[in-house]
Amino acid sequence: MKIRIEEIDGNVVAFLEGSLDTAAAPEAEKVMDPLNNVEGKDIIIDCTDLEYISSAGLRIFLGILQNAEDRGGHVYIKGLNEKVFATFTLTGFNNIFEFM
Amino acid sequence: MKEIIIYIRRKLSVRLSLWVVLFAALNFNVALGFLFYQSRETVRLEAISHATHILDNTILRVENILNRIEVASNNAKWFIQRHSDQPDSMMVYSRIMLLNNPDFCNCSIAFEPYHFKDYGRYFSAYSKHVGDSIRTVHGGSDHYQYFYMDWYLMSKLLGHPCWTEPYMDYDVPTNSNEMVTSYCQTFTDKQGKVIGVISTSLSLSWLSQTISATKPYPNSYSIMIGRGGTYFVHPDTTKITRETIFTQTIETPDTALTSLGYAMQHGEEGMKQMNINGEECYVFYKPIRNTGCSMAIICPENDIFRGFDRLRRTIIIIVTVGLLLMLFFFIRIITRELRPLGQLADEAETIASGHFDEELPDFQRIDEIGQLSHSFRNMQQSLVKHIEELKDTTAQKASIESDLRIASNIQMGMLPEIFPTKADRDDVQLYATLAPAKEVGGDLFDFYFRDEKLFFCIGDVSGKGVPASLFMAVTRSTFRTVSAQESKPDRIVTTMNKTIADMNKTHMFVTLFVGVLDLPTGRLYYCNAGHNAPLLVSADIKELPCDSNIAVGFRKKWKYSLQEAQLSTGTTLFLYTDGLNEAMNADKEQFEMERINEVAVRALANQQQEPHELINQMIKAVHQFVGDAEQSDDMTMMAIQYIWQQTDLQTQSIVLPNNTQEVTRLNAFVEEVCKTVGFDEMVTMQIKVAVEEAVVNVMKYAYPQGKPGNVRIEAAHNDQRLKFTIIDSGKPFDPTIQSEVDTTLPAKKRSLGGLGIHIMRQNMDSINYERTDNLNVLTLRKKIKQ
Repeated sequence: MKIRIEEIDGNVVAFLEGSLDTAAAPEAEKVMDPLNNVEGKDIIIDCTDLEYISSAGLRIFLGILQNAEDRGGHVYIKGLNEKVFATFTLTGFNNIFEFM
Repeated sequence: MKEIIIYIRRKLSVRLSLWVVLFAALNFNVALGFLFYQSRETVRLEAISHATHILDNTILRVENILNRIEVASNNAKWFIQRHSDQPDSMMVYSRIMLLNNPDFCNCSIAFEPYHFKDYGRYFSAYSKHVGDSIRTVHGGSDHYQYFYMDWYLMSKLLGHPCWTEPYMDYDVPTNSNEMVTSYCQTFTDKQGKVIGVISTSLSLSWLSQTISATKPYPNSYSIMIGRGGTYFVHPDTTKITRETIFTQTIETPDTALTSLGYAMQHGEEGMKQMNINGEECYVFYKPIRNTGCSMAIICPENDIFRGFDRLRRTIIIIVTVGLLLMLFFFIRIITRELRPLGQLADEAETIASGHFDEELPDFQRIDEIGQLSHSFRNMQQSLVKHIEELKDTTAQKASIESDLRIASNIQMGMLPEIFPTKADRDDVQLYATLAPAKEVGGDLFDFYFRDEKLFFCIGDVSGKGVPASLFMAVTRSTFRTVSAQESKPDRIVTTMNKTIADMNKTHMFVTLFVGVLDLPTGRLYYCNAGHNAPLLVSADIKELPCDSNIAVGFRKKWKYSLQEAQLSTGTTLFLYTDGLNEAMNADKEQFEMERINEVAVRALANQQQEPHELINQMIKAVHQFVGDAEQSDDMTMMAIQYIWQQTDLQTQSIVLPNNTQEVTRLNAFVEEVCKTVGFDEMVTMQIKVAVEEAVVNVMKYAYPQGKPGNVRIEAAHNDQRLKFTIIDSGKPFDPTIQSEVDTTLPAKKRSLGGLGIHIMRQNMDSINYERTDNLNVLTLRKKIKQ
């Protein structure tokens, strides 16, 4: 699991690559913690290279979203593949996130 | 005739009048009958006395005449014997005889031949009435040799005076005949030698007229017969001397007439009632002294009773007319008196047609009709009041019925309506019916699948109707709530009992059978709380052994026992409520266990043990048995057939330590298995997530923080499905009873937990938890699409 965070066009963009499973979740949460401190900018999570996600990963996504919403920000998800999107749909996450 | 009867039945006045008149007629009939009988008897006795009297009188008169003749003859005899040598005197005597007795017919003083030499052989002084004068001639000639005549010979031969039989007296000068009878007596000379005979005759027709002159009744008549029965006197003069009383009986035998003839011949006296020439007659008869004759007066009955009959006819006519008048007036009077009733009837009809406010007439009467009218008025008022009440009650009833209908729909809606069939599932089939005795009932059944288990229950609430139905609803929802959290029937029932007993203020109870069938193994866990033991229909029929637990709702602290049984493949479990075995026919006989068994045996023999078929057979049998009798209790049946699935083709396993970092290995293992089975990428990912969530759950919750332990994951598949079994030795933890997350909530309201079990359920076809041998065993299944 590789995660990198960049600021592009005034947005904070997180690039996720590999499997975000329970084993990878603690590390990923740590890496993505800065996203919880973003002020006045939108967050984009680029999942183009995300191959797999389990509930542990979803919980991280939900935490970021709840945090961002508290601050009045937006969280966009980008480039989700079909398989991963299925898990989003399954859990109703497709309704709470904005996709681009 | 039919119309008349209908008219009489419809008219009370006519019927009453008829009864009264009939009764009066009956009375009159009896009284008049008695009167008529008595009167008739009196008339009869009077007639007998009257006729007897007349007969006596007549006979007295006849005897008087005869006496006179005899006396006159005796007197004349004295003179003749004194002057027997003076022929001229004889002429005088003979003439004087008639002169003194104008009613005598003739008188002959005849002498022996040559008594008077001067006169030759014949001398007979013969006097006879001719018109008003008396003609006296000298009788006897060669043509009429009188001494050979009966009247001459009889007394001479007999030696004493006698009456001759009637004979025809031929009168030469007038050339006329007359029927006469003569009194003859001889006279003698001084030596006592018979010198002649004096004969004095009496005309029979005169006698007949004389006798007939006096008659008791206009049509009565007299007869007189001689010794031989010859008629001397008879209204039909042609019969006189020519016929006897017996002549008539030769042609037409008549015992009555014959006996009358004999009686008269024998000189008897009396009265006979007999039929003469087709007419009922009273015959009074009596002999005439010394003559050998007998006289009779014949009085036709009609004559005797003519007056009486006329009177009777008149009375009958008067009575009949009186009765008819009575009938007429009675009908008029009663009709008038009952007219108010007719009016009341019309009013009643009007009221009956719905016009309750119709004004009733006031008859101003204080009799029974007045009372009736008064009662009627009261009734009308009450009726109006009651109708109003009835309307309210009916509306309420309709409302209650409507509520009941809705309640029935709600209750039926609570029950599962879709049953798993062969097409839906290959491991279990189920069918159930519930027929309440009233709109709503107290029976219940329920089932649902959770993971790889079939939860089911059947129950019967004490009592029927609305209270039972409410209790049933409570029981059913309690079952659903409790069984969502518990997987063991004993614990389900124990918890249900606690909940229900707590709120059970009405002391109702419910018998309950709760079962949990583990579908992969065919293991049946069950708890029976006072319910009928179900039947096991497999190779044979037997009852499922059941502990004697008390029904639910009684005692809060009762500990219900758990029982287990292994169902072999194809076995059908048949559950029912007592509405089935206690179903009653019209003769109050119950269906009984024997019949249930019989139906099950028959169904088994005919390979009809599939749930729907078995229940249909049972319903058919019970309907046939009950017939038209009313259903006495709610009746519920449920049948579950279990079919065991084939064994696995291939098994793989992996053991992971209690560490979430091992998930990477797990995912690799799952991916490998899915590849072997041949799932596509999407399904593989679904399974991967589900298994990961399950294993992570175990790692997180089965073992306390930091405590080491292993989790074993077995993967097995056959043609039908892929199965993962996750086994650990941690503390009991059943993830399947965790509540569902709401996936529709907005981000803010979403919790971070609970997603795992949701993903497991959604991604797999079934999940199942079991605690066996101190191990948590979680099974996840995914069907393999062919």
